[in-house]
Amino acid sequence: MSHLLRRHPTHSRRPRSRFASPSILWGGGIVLFFVLLALFAGPLTALTGNDPYSEHRSLLGPRSVPLGFGGGISPSHWFGVTPLRGVDLFSIIAYGTRVSLGIGLASTLISVVIGVAIGLIAGYFPGVTDAILSRTMDVFFGFPFLIFAIALSAIVPDSFPRPLLLILVLGFFGWPSIARLIRGQTLTLTHRGYTSAAQVMGASSTHILLNEIMPGLLPLLIVRLTLSIPGRIAAEASLSFLGVGINPPTPSWGRTISDAVAWALVDPMYLIFPGLALFLVTFGFNLLGDGLSDALDPKAVIRAEMTETAETSKTTATESSTRNSAPAVVQQGGNR
Amino acid sequence: MAFHYFFAHRLHGKRGSVRHASVALATLFAATALVLSGCGSRTSQTGIGASPSSSPNTSASATPMKGGTLTVLTSQSSLSLDPATSQSLPTTTTGLVHRRLTTWKISHGKTTVVPDLATTTGTPSDHGAVWTFHLKKGLRFSNGKPITSQDVKWGIERSFSDTFTGGLSYHKQLLAGAANYHGPFSGQQLNSIETPNDSTIIFHLNSPFGAWPWVASLISFAPVPRGDGTQKSYGNHPVTSGPYQVQSNSPGRELVLTRNPYWKASTDSVRKAYPNRIVYRMGQDDTVAAQQIMQGVNGGDTSILGEFVPPAQLAQAQANPQYSQLLVTSGDGALEYIAINTRHIRNLAVRQAILWATDRAGYRTAAGGAIAGNYATTLITPGIAGRQKYDLYHVPTGGDPARARAILKRAHVTVPTLKMVIQQNKTEQASAIQSSLKKAGINVRIQVLDSGVYSDTVTNNQGNYDLTIASWQPDFPDAYANLAPLFSSSMIGNGNQNMSRYSNRAVDALMTQATQTVDQKAAGKLWAQADQRIMHDIPVVPLIYSHNTFIHGSRVAGFDIGNFPAYPDYLTMGLTRD
Repeated sequence: MSHLLRRHPTHSRRPRSRFASPSILWGGGIVLFFVLLALFAGPLTALTGNDPYSEHRSLLGPRSVPLGFGGGISPSHWFGVTPLRGVDLFSIIAYGTRVSLGIGLASTLISVVIGVAIGLIAGYFPGVTDAILSRTMDVFFGFPFLIFAIALSAIVPDSFPRPLLLILVLGFFGWPSIARLIRGQTLTLTHRGYTSAAQVMGASSTHILLNEIMPGLLPLLIVRLTLSIPGRIAAEASLSFLGVGINPPTPSWGRTISDAVAWALVDPMYLIFPGLALFLVTFGFNLLGDGLSDALDPKAVIRAEMTETAETSKTTATESSTRNSAPAVVQQGGNR
Repeated sequence: MAFHYFFAHRLHGKRGSVRHASVALATLFAATALVLSGCGSRTSQTGIGASPSSSPNTSASATPMKGGTLTVLTSQSSLSLDPATSQSLPTTTTGLVHRRLTTWKISHGKTTVVPDLATTTGTPSDHGAVWTFHLKKGLRFSNGKPITSQDVKWGIERSFSDTFTGGLSYHKQLLAGAANYHGPFSGQQLNSIETPNDSTIIFHLNSPFGAWPWVASLISFAPVPRGDGTQKSYGNHPVTSGPYQVQSNSPGRELVLTRNPYWKASTDSVRKAYPNRIVYRMGQDDTVAAQQIMQGVNGGDTSILGEFVPPAQLAQAQANPQYSQLLVTSGDGALEYIAINTRHIRNLAVRQAILWATDRAGYRTAAGGAIAGNYATTLITPGIAGRQKYDLYHVPTGGDPARARAILKRAHVTVPTLKMVIQQNKTEQASAIQSSLKKAGINVRIQVLDSGVYSDTVTNNQGNYDLTIASWQPDFPDAYANLAPLFSSSMIGNGNQNMSRYSNRAVDALMTQATQTVDQKAAGKLWAQADQRIMHDIPVVPLIYSHNTFIHGSRVAGFDIGNFPAYPDYLTMGLTRD
């Protein structure tokens, strides 16, 4: 890596650590904030003696609308209370973070496991295996996920825990994009010198996949993972918004936003706070993902190495022309 | 059997079942001083009236003009006008298109039963077990054919067919020999309905029944041309007898009613038929529709909202003097209650604990505050003849969780987690109940169901739930319509509304006795007795008598709610000149 930096003077303008870019710091900070909020939702809300279930009817006016500024904002109710029942809004959002982050992370993990496995196999075994798996991905891509999820939540018995159902549904439908990406990347890595060397030396497919190809996929995966979490948080929110997500009283941002939409003109803060939370957490993850993508820049790393190889083997023109086709493949994979 | 959902499903824009065919089916009426002018035989006009002080339910004072297009914004996704499947009130949507033997006249807050197709509200004989009606002369359907007594009979017989479900069933319980009758389509007639000539129809009942003139005003007594309406889709484009006919009906989009040229105002003492056209826009989001009406944009000034005003818009409109003029709130209407599935919760002590733990104040706040209604203790709703006000338990409005705990402790029972099924629009109220029961150590798991799934779940034969929140307004102002559908053991499952699955022989016998008592005073006493007897078993926890609030555009006049039902009278509303 050090000679890379020498070769490309632009890289030397980067901060001391590649991971100290503003997007990573800000994005990571926001994500960390919400992780802490989720972990310490209990103690934090206990500071003001609140929980996301208790009603404070004395804070509501005769029309069940919170009294006072900003939907009843006060030292004991930082974000005010909800109309109709007077539940502490900060508690709902703090506890709702658990649901949102939990479902986002868990379903992403499921998708990544399925996606990486299928992507690796499809990329490394061309021909029939690849064709079957790739068409399966296409089918899943075209599947009307939202309608399926709604239908599924109507059929699944209510004794089945809702959060688990959402994790499974989101996880199971989220893998194809990851699988495609991994497949593309695997295709290029398979033709790299060190992979060919391992093959020639008689290493098993499993060994090559795990020890030669997997490490090359990691930067890409980390970026992809970070970028896909906000989409899942939003998907959970939309399902809860549509009334097929988390059942009451478990706090959920999506359901709260859905309830609050009708109150937008009467009690705007009821909508603004959970909306802001959803915005911030997706923004934070996207920022972090972007930052990581720049820092790890799998594409740039690969491209640079390609160029390096190409340059060192410039001895024959024919060889150079075959190498030149490689970056095009990388580009294709990276675009997914 | 108007099983009244509150606001329609907000997001999906549909109501569960055909029984909500009327746009504004829900509940209520103003009740403080309603007295049934109890005539024993009810051959003359019978009615309930309000004391003069209790008619705040009139909105627009201007008189409507003839003409114009009135728009009804509704979240429902389809509107069926089939008399065999509808549960619509005589004074809402189906009243515009279907006439019946008798109908309701609402004036000065007082609701009376008056002749419609018939010349009288019925002549009883055999102590009230046989009722005879004669049709007016010159009545015609929208297809130009004359309306005969056979058409009325055919309409009633149709409602027995297994093809049609979800309609009202009062007549099915009362007509003699109807138990094994399955409709006229295979050639069988119902012999307890006689039509000696084209203008006479005679009903033979199982037993004397004094409130038959009210039953004859229900949608099942609308005429259907003999031989017509064999298809399930008949309700989309029915032949009509009222002042309007169906020009087009596209589910999910709109229903357009235009004038029926064969309807004559001279034969109709009730329907004013002011607008030239009435257009129902379906699949509307009721929060958006309410805004549209308040601000008078997109034709909102000539529109009404078919559902109740959603809580948020209600709070918004109340706070604004200009908008609050557009609101009309009814008096005490439907009974809102928690139905306890007595087949799952057999232990009376547990039901007692639920009653004591229930925080009615919290429920009412979650329903929108004081405007949502008054606290309920009786099962017969205010204003119904014979109702006796009582409070068996004197539970404080906020509940008494300590007492509930004590009851459970004394009975040595631990209550498993109870499953409460609700529709989405009841989420806040259900959460309020949930948190109040939790204080007494009773855990409740809420399951939110789509409205179609919900109505099946609570009325099917399995009864896979422990609790539900329901609401009931009688279909006609008689204690029979209050109690029999909810607490008779014959009304469990099969699409019926006994959601507490309550079965008590003594209560059944008492209700049968009350039904057969023609003297209305004596009957009223028996019903009041049944009311208290049922509450001793606590199959339900009465919550509030709901007050329905509706909204109309600034150019809509005659948007009035009488003391019964708790819905605006669609038959008399119209538009003003600008």
